[in-house]
Amino acid sequence: MGNEEKKPKINLAIYWGAACGGCCVSVLDVHESLFDVVAAADLVFWPIALDIKYKDVEAMPDGFIDVTLFNGAVRNSENEYMAKLLRKKTKILVAYGSCSHMGGIPGLANFSDKESLLQRVFDDTESTENPKKIRPQTEYEVKEGVLDLPEFYNDVKTLDQVVNVDYYLPGCPPQTERLVEVFMAIVTGAELPPPGSVVGALVKSQCDECERKKSDNKKINKFYRPWEIEDDGETCFLEQGVICLGPATRGGCGVRCIKGNAPCRGCYGPPPDVIDPGAKMMSAIATMIDSDDPEEIAAIVEQIDDPAGLFYRFSLPSSILRRTIK
Amino acid sequence: MEETRIGLYVCWCGTNIAKMVDVENVAKEMESMPNVVVSKDYKYMCSDPGQDLIIKDIKEHNLNRVVVSACSPRIHELTFRKALENAGLNPYMFEMANIREHDSWVHTDREEATRKAKTLIAGALNRVRWHESLEKRTVDMNPATLIIGGGIAGISAALEIADSGKKVYLIEKSDKLGGHLLNVDLTYPYMYSAQEMIKPKIDRIENNPDIDIFLNTQIEDLTGYVGNFQTKISQDGAEKELKFGSIIVATGLRAFNPDSIKDYDYANFPNVITSVEFEAMLKSGKILTKEGKEPKNISIIHCVGSRNHDYHEYCSRTCCMTALKYSNQIRSALPDSHIYHAYADMRAFGKGCEELYTKTSGKDVIFLMYDQKNDLPKIKKASVKDKCEMLIELNEKLSGESVEVAADMVILMVAMESNDNAKTLGQTVGVSLCGNEFYIEKHPKLDPVATTTDGVYVVGSCQSPKDIPDSVSQARAAAARILAKINYGTVEVEVTTAVVNEELCCGCQTCVCVCPYTAISYDEEKNVSVVNEVLCKGCGTCGSACPTGAIKCRHYTDQQILSQIEGLLSKSLELQEV
Repeated sequence: MGNEEKKPKINLAIYWGAACGGCCVSVLDVHESLFDVVAAADLVFWPIALDIKYKDVEAMPDGFIDVTLFNGAVRNSENEYMAKLLRKKTKILVAYGSCSHMGGIPGLANFSDKESLLQRVFDDTESTENPKKIRPQTEYEVKEGVLDLPEFYNDVKTLDQVVNVDYYLPGCPPQTERLVEVFMAIVTGAELPPPGSVVGALVKSQCDECERKKSDNKKINKFYRPWEIEDDGETCFLEQGVICLGPATRGGCGVRCIKGNAPCRGCYGPPPDVIDPGAKMMSAIATMIDSDDPEEIAAIVEQIDDPAGLFYRFSLPSSILRRTIK
Repeated sequence: MEETRIGLYVCWCGTNIAKMVDVENVAKEMESMPNVVVSKDYKYMCSDPGQDLIIKDIKEHNLNRVVVSACSPRIHELTFRKALENAGLNPYMFEMANIREHDSWVHTDREEATRKAKTLIAGALNRVRWHESLEKRTVDMNPATLIIGGGIAGISAALEIADSGKKVYLIEKSDKLGGHLLNVDLTYPYMYSAQEMIKPKIDRIENNPDIDIFLNTQIEDLTGYVGNFQTKISQDGAEKELKFGSIIVATGLRAFNPDSIKDYDYANFPNVITSVEFEAMLKSGKILTKEGKEPKNISIIHCVGSRNHDYHEYCSRTCCMTALKYSNQIRSALPDSHIYHAYADMRAFGKGCEELYTKTSGKDVIFLMYDQKNDLPKIKKASVKDKCEMLIELNEKLSGESVEVAADMVILMVAMESNDNAKTLGQTVGVSLCGNEFYIEKHPKLDPVATTTDGVYVVGSCQSPKDIPDSVSQARAAAARILAKINYGTVEVEVTTAVVNEELCCGCQTCVCVCPYTAISYDEEKNVSVVNEVLCKGCGTCGSACPTGAIKCRHYTDQQILSQIEGLLSKSLELQEV
């Protein structure tokens, strides 16, 4: 308790937008380090763990929260409201995890639009029975008064498409060790990188840390999904015809997927100079196809299942692929 | 960072642009774009006064970027870069918006074309702000030259270069020098003996200490760049390495095989022969049928494999005159014979050629015109009563009548086509093929011997079918180009090269094998790729292959290109809304 008197505690908030909950769990994964965290910070808002209401946040003075870890994308009006509110109340706003960083898995919905999504869910799915064609509405009057629901948006947005973001801590979810490092840097008053930086990740991409054998022999005649091939456990996935997004993805996770014999899916996002990692990776893959014959090339490319979902799994809303804004 | 100050110049190109684009309105409106300090329109930006306008403004308004919207950068980018240089600005601080080929020439609605000009300029303005200064680099020129092919073209070039005391490596795949000319008897139109022309040249080559001849030799591979090439050659299985600064490709062509034309039945009629076989017959001194008899009726069929979409669309250029030459030689050897030409058009351009046609026409030679595109003659076996071996049936175009011609010998004037290894060799030396599989020159009119690979020249019939004077002219032109470069001593190399940011490169090696110039290697110790900037031609392949964004292609960075697209699209959107 002596520590507490020496150094004032910081106010920490953790919030989720359109998220799966994994990011919040990754915070819990600090295990015994939680004691260090709580020793250094007061958790002033964390819906998954603490019963603090929105109105409590609204009541906080501006800049009251020192650090907010915002995970999840911005998918509806509630997410947007909270992003703006927390921005106002927070000194250092961190986009925590792939969804707030790049749009993440929920961002794949941007390949579709609001109407077709609602139609699928409320009309078409095999298990739907909705003869009255009821759709969610933002307001509904009942005898007790008006009930309201957040408005579902046409686009999934990244956090920085809605508010200014100070730092990005990538990953799906971010590696807990990286979170602790960043957190401790903040609370100990270490010099922080310039605003807008990606923290808790490396500059070089995955291959730099990956221990698999790599050569310049990246010639692909056939693409395999991981289950279709017996991985030799030591050769670069790409050289075995398995698409690995490692080269277009920042290191920092400790090449965990690859060490587990699964190709990198790209959750740590692009290295510093890459604007659109999906495009970069497709462009790279295109050069690896081992044929000069247009028909054969087309046939080889056909073997890639769901290329949009594969190359833009985590990065669609942040990519340069956008639907026309009407 | 210094403030971006852009000068924008909108060219009228006389009426070329001005008639379809409201250039004055464009210049006026674009003046309000961010960072544009001056915006002017002028009749001819490429003229001296046009360039002076830019130079004056750069000095007066302290400009550090220039955009000229005019014709294609292929035509005048260098002109304007030079102007920037003259004004003391780095030449790469320049961008061109093509509002002629991409706009005024291809549109018919003035309003839309004007809008498009603004959009293209907005893209250029957005791009130029990201331009960086690039410095020119030069390397020493190796004064030796490699010549591939020992025919008349290769021989002429070799002598021209060696006569000025420079080293030549002359490579020939067969066992002797001379090429197709070795099999030719007399040459049209003046009936000079081919052997008397070629033999003394071969003697001179063999005795010239500056020419190293490699017979029975193939090129295995080629690396390097203008001024500093090297190759591995294999001569009778033995390998050797050569270093040189320039390359002349003079690999010639081959004769078309007429087997595929069914109506001529070349495979089965013993006395249907090709022009190549007839030339050999002339050279041996006796015109005889396979049975050893003097033929009484000789027919010459033109355009065999040429000018027909089933075979080759192009004209093989030399066959008409060679056929006339045959008539004269046959008439001398067999004064009583009947000579028929089944021809399509008589192509007698060139010095002395029309005269040869006139002269031949007066020698009791019959010309029958046929439709080479749709209605080829047919060769049939004659019956006993015809008193000849074969009959040629054709629809004579001028008279409109079907005629039958007796023939004891038929000469097929076969097309000239590219060698079967043209593609492989082209890939090795970095020269592309045209649609007819001949090598492509850099510019069909203004640069007919150079290629898009600096330091590599194509001469003679490997570039397109040609006669001897044209082949010799090309060979000597290429030699002159090379000697000029050798004389200068150094060559400028590409500055818009690729560069690896070692801080970002993760060593995935995706780039290594995509480089067509073998300019990229992998440094195992540092775990990064390395670009040899002297070998790099700035093609950009590695930049688009690099998944980490570590490779930057100078002057074509992602940021420059995306900014251009952004400028273009936002202007387009803005103008639509108006």
